[in-house]
Amino acid sequence: MVMFSAGVSSAAPPATGERVSFVSCPIVRDTSSVPCWLSEYEGVIYFLTLQTDVSAPVNPPWLGHKVLVEGVVSGKADVCGGRVLEPVTLSVMQELDGSCNTLLPAEDRYNLDFEPPRPPGPSRGRLAFGNPTPAGAPTVDSAPRDFTLQYEFDGMVAFRHAPTLQRMLETARATHATEVRITGYRSASRLSNGTVMRERESIARERAAQIRTLLQGAGLEGVRYSLQVKDRSKRPDGTGDAAHRRAEVSIVGPN
Amino acid sequence: MRCRPIRWPVIAIAGFWIGTCHAQEVAGHVPEQNRQAQQAPSPPGSSEPSATAWWLPGDGKTLAVLAPYRNAFGSVGVLNAQGPVATAGHPFFEPIGRNGRACVSCHQPANGMSVSLEMIRRRWEETEGKDPLFAPVDGMDCPHLPAADPKSHSLLLERGLFRIFLPWPPKAEAGSDLDPEFTLEVVRDPTGCNTHPDFGLRSANPMVSVYRRPRPVANLRYVTHQGFGVFSFIGKNGLPASRDPETGLPSAMNLLSDARQPTLKTQAVEAAVTHLQFDGKLDDERLGRIVDFERQIYVAQIRHAEAGDLMEAGGPPGLGVRNVAAGRDGLLGNNITNYVIPLGDRWKGNRMRESIVRGENVFMFRTFWIRDAMHLNTVGLGNPTKRTCATCHGMHMMGMDVANGWMDIGTTNLPWAREEPLNPWNSRKPLLPLFKVTCKANVPPHPFLGRVFYTQDPGRGLISGKCNDVGTIVMQQMRGLAARAPYFSNGSAGTLRELVDFYDRRFNIGYTDQEREDLINFLSAL
Repeated sequence: MVMFSAGVSSAAPPATGERVSFVSCPIVRDTSSVPCWLSEYEGVIYFLTLQTDVSAPVNPPWLGHKVLVEGVVSGKADVCGGRVLEPVTLSVMQELDGSCNTLLPAEDRYNLDFEPPRPPGPSRGRLAFGNPTPAGAPTVDSAPRDFTLQYEFDGMVAFRHAPTLQRMLETARATHATEVRITGYRSASRLSNGTVMRERESIARERAAQIRTLLQGAGLEGVRYSLQVKDRSKRPDGTGDAAHRRAEVSIVGPN
Repeated sequence: MRCRPIRWPVIAIAGFWIGTCHAQEVAGHVPEQNRQAQQAPSPPGSSEPSATAWWLPGDGKTLAVLAPYRNAFGSVGVLNAQGPVATAGHPFFEPIGRNGRACVSCHQPANGMSVSLEMIRRRWEETEGKDPLFAPVDGMDCPHLPAADPKSHSLLLERGLFRIFLPWPPKAEAGSDLDPEFTLEVVRDPTGCNTHPDFGLRSANPMVSVYRRPRPVANLRYVTHQGFGVFSFIGKNGLPASRDPETGLPSAMNLLSDARQPTLKTQAVEAAVTHLQFDGKLDDERLGRIVDFERQIYVAQIRHAEAGDLMEAGGPPGLGVRNVAAGRDGLLGNNITNYVIPLGDRWKGNRMRESIVRGENVFMFRTFWIRDAMHLNTVGLGNPTKRTCATCHGMHMMGMDVANGWMDIGTTNLPWAREEPLNPWNSRKPLLPLFKVTCKANVPPHPFLGRVFYTQDPGRGLISGKCNDVGTIVMQQMRGLAARAPYFSNGSAGTLRELVDFYDRRFNIGYTDQEREDLINFLSAL
């Protein structure tokens, strides 16, 4: 990770619809059901997400690490005492940080006024957001041929990518693919204070190469792998930066 | 034994038995293991008298459809779903290797198809250490140590641990070297094996020695299921799952403590080489018989000393070995349709039954903060996560992780692993080796332990070479616990009480005396 600071900062509380990007410690607040995940930036407490399960679209960060928060201030009522960011993208910073160690006890005033998607114990028969892995192989006609993997900052393939990789593999097999085209991207993030964080220089190539290695490791041999890299780290604008942390995969012919 | 075409050279070491046959090629790390197994001496003879419950290799008895064996909590039952097993000539029960052992040596029916420390010690006394169980290859702390000396077998006699030797650096399935993400430095070597010139990391056949408990050969239909969570990519990290070399199907990767073998068949090939000193690859006929036997055998506690019959009509649907044999595999437990261990709501009758039911409730619903557990907190739940025992121990009827079940809860990684207290008033010395792990600069540090940390057993990291896999151990099934102490892969919990206490300490749970007692009673009834 490479950081540059432009010294731009805004002390005014953000308005609804405003984007905020910052690196800070996550905070856990217990409730009478599942814990909330919060973070503080420039005196404002933001609600990041709830504890749910592996199928959730946004997964909680980790104490012991800072987190890169990139989100939009929503107009929803506060949750657990924090202004709600939605949508929000979270990236756990890889280096350990022992100062990120705040676990707040439950308080009646911060208890959830809705039922969480998943209780803190065993599920009620299904995962909160459905089965994270596909039920069966796609048909030739129905199979999407293009896939996108979104990454955390400086991140590579992780648990959340397994279902998408599975669909790529099954699509390639079902369509008797002859080629897999992979484009790895490198991105940067412009923080609300003007600092620019750039992903490591080699990461676009690493992302593309890793996907090829993983598909080969899962048995997808006999196809041509075409790898490209694209660098989107030059002009981060603080709006779509997280979306550029990705890899695109296209499954090509013959069916 | 038939000799196979020469593929692996057998190394001749002065003073050791020298192999005359050569092994047929098998995948991955096994050729290197075979070289060391054949290098190790083997004991003279195996026809020692049988203890009451000891199953002697080549005994030739019939294993009944339902065989009960007493233990401290009642009785464990071994059920053969395909009917009684004639063991004469059966490759699971015959000493097919060089050292007089059979599979049954370390997978005893009386011990729920594992082998308990109590049984190991009794066997030592009865045979004065001459039973093939104590074969130098892995029943000694290291094969070079003096025979018939209990000090040479300290890990087996004090912890119930056998030596597992694995090549370093790790091998890919095709047998090529992997480039591990971390370096491994031996900082403590009480067995002398990791620094030994012939058996250690700097030998001609570089090998890491770690020490682990035998996992139960029972209920394996569950362990090797193809249901929930078994896909071509591992749900914990997105990397390719290991595959059955015959069918190409992904494995649940739950068989061994480091998930190094994908199927019962490949496991049997390796076990014959490393534990029986069979020089080669078992033929398909014998492999088929072993696997067929293993797929149909079930184990569970069938009688509880205070709760009574666990198989009575109308009893809890999750208890007793017949219910285990009849249960559905490949299911993730939940709290409405597939409880992990379903007890129903009609089981009453005495205080112990009520305690067991309460213990199941603690297991399912008593929340606590699970923190810094690799491959649990990192897979979408956050660190920490407020959950229960059943979060990880989620497989219906088994209580193990449903797939790809390796995690680091601190059983082998410091600072949580059990270590001998060092002080001027304690004469005991540490038994287990200790390794310094340094994650290389080109990979992220371990998420919870940093770039440099210490472990007694790198676990899955010895196979994958991944820094964040170091110290991760595949979760064990919870059946037949009463019959097979000690617990955890390194035998660090001597009793069910010590097992529960480990979790209490590790996760700062704060169990009440009642919760602890109920949980122990629940575990003792499985």
